[in-house]
Amino acid sequence: MDDSAKRLLQRFMRRIPTQMLKTTLEKWSRLTVAQQKSLDFTQSKWALTEALLDICEENKWTTKHISELEMIYVIDNPNQGMWHAFQLMDPEDDAHSVELTQFKEQFKSHLSELIRHVSVKIKKHTDEAVWIRIAWGDSYSRPNHLKPTYVVHYLQTPYVFVTSLTSKQKPLLSQALVLSTRHHAIKDANLSGKKFTAIRDLLMRQYQQAFPTKYPSPLKEKNQTVSNPLIEREQAGPAANRLQMACEAFGDGMLPQLQSAVYKLETKFRDQTNKTMTEREESFRCVVKFASTNLLESLRDCASSGIASTPVTPLLSSIPLKGRNYFVITDNSPGPSSQMHQKTDG
Amino acid sequence: MEGASTRGVLSHLSLLEVQARSRKTQPQQRSRVKELKAEAEALMIQRDKLKAEIQTHERLQKLRMSMDKQCPREQEEEEEMDEDSEDSQLLRLMARHTHLKDLLHAHHLIGGYDIIKTHQGKGVCVSVATSYEGVCLDTYNLEIDLKPKLRISRHNVPPFIPLNSLAEQSNMQTNIRAFLDTLSRHLNAFAGRKQQLKLLKEQHKSVEVMESNVLCSILVLMLTVPREKTAVLCTLDYTDHTRCLPTRVHFDCEDKELPDSPEWKKNCHLLMETPVHTALLTMKKMGNIV
Amino acid sequence: MSLLKPFSKLPGLNTANILLVESEEQFQQSLADALVEETAVTVNVRLAKSLPLPMENEESRPRIDLVVFIINLTSELSFQSAEASLKYLDPGYFLGKVCFMVTNARKASAPTERLDAVRKLAASLHCPLLFAEDQTPDGVANATERLLTILKVSAGLVPMATALYLSNLTRCTVPPDIDQPSFD
Repeated sequence: MDDSAKRLLQRFMRRIPTQMLKTTLEKWSRLTVAQQKSLDFTQSKWALTEALLDICEENKWTTKHISELEMIYVIDNPNQGMWHAFQLMDPEDDAHSVELTQFKEQFKSHLSELIRHVSVKIKKHTDEAVWIRIAWGDSYSRPNHLKPTYVVHYLQTPYVFVTSLTSKQKPLLSQALVLSTRHHAIKDANLSGKKFTAIRDLLMRQYQQAFPTKYPSPLKEKNQTVSNPLIEREQAGPAANRLQMACEAFGDGMLPQLQSAVYKLETKFRDQTNKTMTEREESFRCVVKFASTNLLESLRDCASSGIASTPVTPLLSSIPLKGRNYFVITDNSPGPSSQMHQKTDG
Repeated sequence: MEGASTRGVLSHLSLLEVQARSRKTQPQQRSRVKELKAEAEALMIQRDKLKAEIQTHERLQKLRMSMDKQCPREQEEEEEMDEDSEDSQLLRLMARHTHLKDLLHAHHLIGGYDIIKTHQGKGVCVSVATSYEGVCLDTYNLEIDLKPKLRISRHNVPPFIPLNSLAEQSNMQTNIRAFLDTLSRHLNAFAGRKQQLKLLKEQHKSVEVMESNVLCSILVLMLTVPREKTAVLCTLDYTDHTRCLPTRVHFDCEDKELPDSPEWKKNCHLLMETPVHTALLTMKKMGNIV
Repeated sequence: MSLLKPFSKLPGLNTANILLVESEEQFQQSLADALVEETAVTVNVRLAKSLPLPMENEESRPRIDLVVFIINLTSELSFQSAEASLKYLDPGYFLGKVCFMVTNARKASAPTERLDAVRKLAASLHCPLLFAEDQTPDGVANATERLLTILKVSAGLVPMATALYLSNLTRCTVPPDIDQPSFD
């Protein structure tokens, strides 16, 4: 067992909470029953690490095996680190028939053509997601397993989710992905967040959306709080209407836990009294950032309680509608009465 | 006649001519009166007819109104009691007929999809329901802006269904029916394949699903031949995304001759023509797989 | 835009009707649930986000005996909404049939200026100003009790007492030092 494998295991043990260790090791299914039994999970983490190191040494396991263990843990706990979404563009005719084995081979060969030292591990999760773990090296050094990039892709969909990718590695990954999924280009989907599940659900539309129907909506039934005949809501109609609109804009039920939305404004400063600022050539920039533990739910609540006006402004409803949380807003036409125009790049 | 001699023969003749002419027209006039009278009578009859028609039409309209409002049955029954005659029954039938005709027309226009107006008529919301073997599955919705041109503003169709290219291919601007039909076929086929996979996993524990994808367009199954315990890798390709049946079935086995045996050729046909979970059931009954 | 009038309808027998106006629609619900528990008189509660009240409920709405504006001190919007709603009340209401209820006054995030503004508003309208705790059940019970006392008087259910008389005793007055700079 070499040094890097040792360090990888130590780092992994530092990251994983003790109560998750047992199930993760079981899923790894490399330990024999006796080895599993010999581990005392009430022990301190340090002692556990030592015991595991001994077992690894015994079996002559290498970084390959340890990274497998890490991958199992990350797949089960994907809501760590910063995830970024990318969108594949212009599919070729046979893009929809790409299957896993073919994709695996192609991806690995394309990536190793681009960079000599790279270690790729691909694993399919039960929900059809293809998880890719890439440990990067450069032309002189061996792959660094301590800072792997994780990529998640659902075959036949245009979305790719990536975490911990440096700008140097980005073009390499992009090219490998584009080629192996039979597309022509890839672009930033302008969506990022700490929760992988939230980003995935938003783009894959795996959350409940509300649509207007002619049938009595379940929304109304759910929100009948007033039951006492002596209590009457004067503005029940408008309130129900606001709720319907809010749910149509942001979704119904549990919403993807997005933490932030950023709006970048590039506009002209306009104030007749402040000549120096108004006459400046370059554009006036400012950034508006909304942050919350669950941004979409906050926004929906704002709209349904009447704090934000309904119908919801397109700037806010674009977050779930377009599946992005980074917007650049630019002035299109000059003149004081010009409207803010939302730039839709790409 | 004395005057005639004084005035001359010619003028007398012309006088006679006039007299003769007037004598001739007298009986003609009489027949003309008769003609006119008959015409008036005919017109009168026609008027009565039209009046009756208007009346029936009005009553039809009234009936239609009540039908459109879908007033409760009992009320209708009461009305029937008031004018319980053959006429009213006939009227009722006619009203029903026109009502159904209108419904049919509307149905033809929107093609059986649930459509409602949104944003005060500026858009519509279409729901496309999916089902498989009589089981209702997910319903997908599309919100479509009508002006300046048709544009899908919001939907919950999963991203692996190529909604935009379908809209382009089937010319959504001019033929929304065709677009919705294609989309519905895609969605129904997807729901069907997904349901098949679900049923397969439920009903056939001995069959291992080696590979599948979110679109359910590829299915690789591990089958086992009973006696020899040889594993057969069965690949089902659903290239036509509008169908729930595979376009290609392929077997892989260590025993190279097995896929070419008549039994397995039959299995191949079976898988091509019946849903995978029922095909596997038949194969199990035949003793081809565990 | 119709004004809400205190005497446009006949009173019901042994009933008192209260209107709770709160832009956030949070506290009013728990208050309403507690208010209708009252057994001595029938209490009808109407809940509103803001005034004016919708015209279509005009028929079914009983005579409102007391209007309560609930203001969350941590929210400027709550105060503004209450202020804007005031002009849809008939002046007759201000003869003892309006009161203000303030929540979250103890929170550090509530600026004192806002409390001063509410006090000035209540004082200028000769209305009582109540403080309530909306988070605890005890606080809700307390607030309910105080509202019921005022409500019973303003509904004319207490002999020898009128709303105007009571409001003379309970109305908010602005302490003289409110505009003075503080020395600490």
